[in-house]
Amino acid sequence: GRAKRARARHKPCALQQLEVSVSELGLGYESDETVLFRYCSGTCDGALRSYDLSLRSMRSSRRIRKEKVRARPCCRPLAYDDDVSFLDTYNRYYTVNELSAKECGCV
Amino acid sequence: AGPSAAPPAEPLGWRAPVDCVRANELCAAEAACSARYRTLRQCLAGRDRNTMLANKECQAALEVLQGSPLYECRCKRGMKKELQCLQIYWSIHLGLAEGEEFYEASPYEPVVSRLSDIFRLASIFSGTDPAGASKSNQCLDAAKACNLNDNCKRLRSGYISTCSRELPAAERCSRRKCHKALRQFFDRVPGEYTYRLLFCSCRDAACAERRRQTIISFRSPLALPFILLSLGFYLFLSPSLARSRAAGARSRLADFHANCRAAPQAPGGCPGDNFQACLGSYAGLIGFDVTPNYVDASPGGTVVSPWCSCKGSGNREEECETFLRDFTANPCLRNAIQAFGNGTDGVPAVKGPSAPATALPPKLERSPALPDAANDSNATYDTSLITTCTSVQ
Repeated sequence: GRAKRARARHKPCALQQLEVSVSELGLGYESDETVLFRYCSGTCDGALRSYDLSLRSMRSSRRIRKEKVRARPCCRPLAYDDDVSFLDTYNRYYTVNELSAKECGCV
Repeated sequence: AGPSAAPPAEPLGWRAPVDCVRANELCAAEAACSARYRTLRQCLAGRDRNTMLANKECQAALEVLQGSPLYECRCKRGMKKELQCLQIYWSIHLGLAEGEEFYEASPYEPVVSRLSDIFRLASIFSGTDPAGASKSNQCLDAAKACNLNDNCKRLRSGYISTCSRELPAAERCSRRKCHKALRQFFDRVPGEYTYRLLFCSCRDAACAERRRQTIISFRSPLALPFILLSLGFYLFLSPSLARSRAAGARSRLADFHANCRAAPQAPGGCPGDNFQACLGSYAGLIGFDVTPNYVDASPGGTVVSPWCSCKGSGNREEECETFLRDFTANPCLRNAIQAFGNGTDGVPAVKGPSAPATALPPKLERSPALPDAANDSNATYDTSLITTCTSVQ
């Protein structure tokens, strides 16, 4: 229940994976082929840099007002996986690059 | 594999089976052997067999080398320095086994593993029974299994992106790259994945079309009639082409003939009833001039053929038809493909490895191949034969 959700939310940033059909990717391809979709998820609490702290301070002192800034690191791919090729339902081959994460980090 | 699969743990002795790269090193370390080998190579360079054997020195060199590890050596498919190994093999055997010899001994080591080994591995990898997928599309399941394996996925997408690219201007070049990528896929990805993609069994046309598209046949239809694959033709074109291209394509073809040649006396119809060896040799042809594929998308029919016809074969049409029938109407190949689709080894397990293919003894009385090829006009090879060998789509 809640405890489990909370624990899940506090997992550090890491690579996760999911088996999905190509159609489910939402890229407009129609194919029943299954691919491995790797993504990055988790928290970056431990990765606050002086940059983030200072940015927060500038924002609260209203030295930075209108601009959109982000004062916390987020969990994103540092590198992407190799290309993925598949045959669609019309027997055409497609190759998609940078579909899947290979390495994650707080950036 | 049984205990027979383990290589004999002998010190590097002068005994088969040793690969030709190693045999070459062993020979180079011995003054007598390396001198004879050098002599023989000079004898063979640019000359046909009869001319060569007329020379006493050449004949003596050959006789000495027949007792050396170089004469018994074999290569492994996908091994490091495979081309170098094959070139060494053919440097001794090329000029001796005739260029026009229809069935040649395989330069590859005999395959001792069996289909059941693949099924066992496949079920370990996927956690499912590969044959139990009768309700779904086996070829789609095979694609899934490949996509979920990093190595298979990478090399599959490697050949797909290379071979499906539309590059009409640079067609020759892209075809060469495509073939190379296909060879890498079939050499470096284990059979648990590649065989499932190539030999999946189908119940409907969509599945069969997917199976047919596995090697992107429409991108590599420019195969040559088999006459053009003969040594004579390659030598005729250029010795360097003969060395590399003949070494590759002819080795794989010889291997296919050794392992998939119909053996009517065997229950499964294959030499030693080793389906695994036959399927492996078949897959080994993909990415060469003689790349075979399914001829249509009929689910039950498993008719395969290289992408060429016998039109324009002239007085060798009968020979060409025989060559094609080893693909289109070969009970061994058909049984092996069906056995894989059914998830059975097809025949009662035969213990122990099949007998290794015996090396062809040099035939001293046959006339050389090269003059035959050289007597024909350039035009025959340059235009008519190549253009008649169009896609059979």
